Amino acid sequence: MKYSYIKPRKKTPITPELQIIFTFFAMTLIMLFLTYAFLLYKDYTFKKERQTTIEQKKELKANIKDMQKQISFIQKQKALAEKVFTQNMVLKDSIANLFDLVPQRITLSHAKLLKNGLILYGITPNKDVYNFMLQAPLRSIFHKTYSSFYPAKNGWLMFVSKNYMDEAQARELDSEN
Amino acid sequence: MLSKILEFLYLKVLVNIVVQRESTLVYIEVCSKKGVVDEAGREFKTILLNDQMYDFIHEYIKESPYFYISILDTSIVQGAIPACEKNKLRYYYDLSLSEYKCFDNKWSFYTVKKEIYEIERKYEEIGIDMIFSPFVLLANFFQDKIDNNLALYALIQDGFISVAVFENSQLLYAEHLDILMKDEAEDILLNEDIDENVDLDLDEGINLDDIDADEANIDSLDEFGDIEDLDAIEDISEFSDSKDVEEELHESDDALPEDEENKTFNEDYQRFSMIQLAVSHFYKDDRYESRFIENVYIADGAGVTNDLKKYLEEEMFFNVYVRQADLGAEVCELAKMELGL
Repeated sequence: MKYSYIKPRKKTPITPELQIIFTFFAMTLIMLFLTYAFLLYKDYTFKKERQTTIEQKKELKANIKDMQKQISFIQKQKALAEKVFTQNMVLKDSIANLFDLVPQRITLSHAKLLKNGLILYGITPNKDVYNFMLQAPLRSIFHKTYSSFYPAKNGWLMFVSKNYMDEAQARELDSEN
Repeated sequence: MLSKILEFLYLKVLVNIVVQRESTLVYIEVCSKKGVVDEAGREFKTILLNDQMYDFIHEYIKESPYFYISILDTSIVQGAIPACEKNKLRYYYDLSLSEYKCFDNKWSFYTVKKEIYEIERKYEEIGIDMIFSPFVLLANFFQDKIDNNLALYALIQDGFISVAVFENSQLLYAEHLDILMKDEAEDILLNEDIDENVDLDLDEGINLDDIDADEANIDSLDEFGDIEDLDAIEDISEFSDSKDVEEELHESDDALPEDEENKTFNEDYQRFSMIQLAVSHFYKDDRYESRFIENVYIADGAGVTNDLKKYLEEEMFFNVYVRQADLGAEVCELAKMELGL
């Protein structure tokens, strides 16, 4: 301001139009950066979630494997239980059948179920009742039957009946069960 | 730093406005670091900023954000003072309502603050960056002469005359005159009791009452050629010593037009009267250091005819040298100096 009464106005190339353009570009850039930052964050969280999911998947797979083992074990248990149940049913039926075989005049005091045989202890009024009413059906079931008697105090006879099956037939029956 | 780089990259548009009596000159220069890229000038028949002028200026200033609009101060109440010290300024003029600036720590120029505000208000649509005093323009235009001469320097604009007396670049006297105020000034001149010690022969010169601006009376001008005193002026040997030969040679290439119309004649006579008035003030006013003026340098920004030169030479015995001044370009030079371009 050497010769002029007033000072020249400050000049700037940033006109209002340029200001609008710069503002627009600045906003666009800011939005782009924000979007980029958002995507980075999302990518990070997605990777983290993915990692967690993978770990969960691994854990679940392990769980599934464990559960499958448990299932197979339970299935085996079930099969075994069913087998036992069936065997028990068979045994129950066998016992029921056995007791059905015993006539009313003979009283059993003790019975032993063996793998391939049956031992009965009881009391009979006489040998004939035993031979005709009990020994006959036992012989139809078992291959070998041995009976022994000894007198009781009341004049009846106490008996021991030992009945055995052949080994092959016994195995066949087991497999059926 | 960034603004400096941007400023370097952009072109600079310098818009220079010179308001005349009935029209406005607009001169525009587009500058780069290497020099002037483009220039344009146009005269508008208005003294206000109209649409045509606005469009013309806007066409250039829209090219670069670095545009500077300068205007030559046309206020009537303005002038220059041969001092820079604050305590001395008051001796010459009461500057309480004025804006003033010191020129090279040698002299001051001033104008009324109200006029600056008025200019800024008139051109608020485009804005004003610089307002220059015609005395600064005059000092810059005659810089080569001012530095080592004692002379009267006059800047003639269409409607205004700025007169300054410099001695070895030191201002002795300055006055800004409005031609429209001529009649009033003439009355003052005629009524004032001019110091008798200063014999200017003003009363024996052209009789102002005999001059009539009407076309019918133009023939009466022939009387000027018959004045014996003026015919014999070249015989005065002491004046011939102080002639500026270089300026005369320069002037011969650029001969002034002869008076073509009465209007021009009338205007030149008015100008002569104003210069005469200013000279009388300079000699008469005790506040100013009086020196005998022999040479007059005129910066012609309005197209003066040879008559003015003739009047000054024949009536006041001055050696008169006239230089054509493109005011728009001169204001542009000041703007460049101000901006350091």
